[in-house]
Amino acid sequence: MELLLQTLLNGILMSGIYALVATGLALSLGVVGIVNFAHGEFLMMGAFLSYLLFAFRGMDPLLSLGLAFLAAFVVGALTYQGLIRPVLRAAELNQMLLTFGLSILLQNLALLLFGADTRVVAPPYQATTLSLGPFFLGVVPFGAFLLSLAILLMLQVFLTRSRFGLAMRAVSQNRLAPGLLGIEADKVYLLAFGLAAALAGVAGVMLSVMLYASPTVGFVFTLKSFAIVALAGLGNLKGVVPAALVLAMAEALVSTYLPGGGGLVEAVFFLVLFLALVGRAWRKA
Amino acid sequence: MRLEVQNLETGYGKAQVLFGLDLVVGEGELVALLGANGAGKTTLLRTISGLIPPWRGKVLWDGEDLRRFSPARRARLGLGHVPEGRQLFPLMTVEENLRLGAAFLAPEREREGFERVFALFPRLYERKRQLAGTLSGGEQQMLAIARALMGFPKILLVDEPSLGLAPRLAEEVLLSLKRVVEEGVGVLLVEQNVALSLEVAARAYVVEHGRIVLQGLAHAVLEDPRVREAYLSL
Repeated sequence: MELLLQTLLNGILMSGIYALVATGLALSLGVVGIVNFAHGEFLMMGAFLSYLLFAFRGMDPLLSLGLAFLAAFVVGALTYQGLIRPVLRAAELNQMLLTFGLSILLQNLALLLFGADTRVVAPPYQATTLSLGPFFLGVVPFGAFLLSLAILLMLQVFLTRSRFGLAMRAVSQNRLAPGLLGIEADKVYLLAFGLAAALAGVAGVMLSVMLYASPTVGFVFTLKSFAIVALAGLGNLKGVVPAALVLAMAEALVSTYLPGGGGLVEAVFFLVLFLALVGRAWRKA
Repeated sequence: MRLEVQNLETGYGKAQVLFGLDLVVGEGELVALLGANGAGKTTLLRTISGLIPPWRGKVLWDGEDLRRFSPARRARLGLGHVPEGRQLFPLMTVEENLRLGAAFLAPEREREGFERVFALFPRLYERKRQLAGTLSGGEQQMLAIARALMGFPKILLVDEPSLGLAPRLAEEVLLSLKRVVEEGVGVLLVEQNVALSLEVAARAYVVEHGRIVLQGLAHAVLEDPRVREAYLSL
């Protein structure tokens, strides 16, 4: 029983980061209407930024968070302006090939610059755990979970209160009307894409401590985020958090209870994606 | 403020829809644009607000050619457009839909806009926390008009507001447009409901196959034998 609860607890703690990354993907998909295979690479950049700042400036990853947010926002905005904007009206396949190509390019660029080694950011509190009765809570996963939750809450307030947030939701619901109301959709897209990248960048900083920074760390998060977004339903931002929780819990259960589960964890999202799509098709039929 | 269309030609792909159309709408007047399905009324409105580029001819805003202006920039100048099919944001509340209509204005103007549209459509005030997609057809149409009014347009294009509404509601919506005009807004109203629109409009144009075939004061157009035969079956 204790093992089960500890497993579920681990799952919950992981779900925050998943939700953060997947929300970014859902924003670029729902608002801009682009399938961004390079989403995880923004995360990878955040992780390396955190690593570089830690290794060369001794900067605490907590401080790197804000910098990574801004840097990823700028990179995302530039990516939109330079690469995405020209293909907005192109065929979907062309758009996907572009973002897929960008993903490969960025991964190999990172490989060239940093090599294939995994780099861990190890601040003094990295291995600290809190014990809660019979359960153990890593300080870092717990902090990352709380931070993710706080960021998602702020995003929620932004999307429901501010004009820019309203405009983002509006564009995702109707492409024609915003222009007629004096809202330049192009600016909304730019902001949404930058924000999506920024969310991934922040998650990258957290992962550089919890996991590691490496050229390929992002791609698996792109795939997992797709599974989460498919489970939540395309364009459903509120569904992302519960969907992320489902995936993270499923992974935790597999890793604890399946013999050799550790190796199978990275395949769980396939199962979730598969079940989500089959379930959706079934409900429609 | 004066919206003028000069010798406008446009279409979709190779299919020409408008064949040299001229029209004027000034502030504070309600002008009806009448014609059968497929005559080019919606295409004209879409060209005026910049959703479709003109092939030939001009759209002038107080004499200034709008050719290079995006739809959003035209809206910020004061050109409102209530599009065909209402185009609301169905998963957002009435209040949020309205706020988006004023998104480019200073925040103080937003409050002013709310007062104005709630005075015009008290029913929207009662439903302000309701999702737009759950409103009745008449309420959705009122919301679409109110949302455009939140941006304080000087000229408002309204496309088929009575479509799909019960006669009593259609009348209510058209009468509300009359009150908008009394506040000084110029309205270009596209309608298939000829009798009702000629009742509220001051002037009217009749379009057939992308050309203006008849224009004049509303009561004169109403008396025209061709109109009576073709649109009123009298």
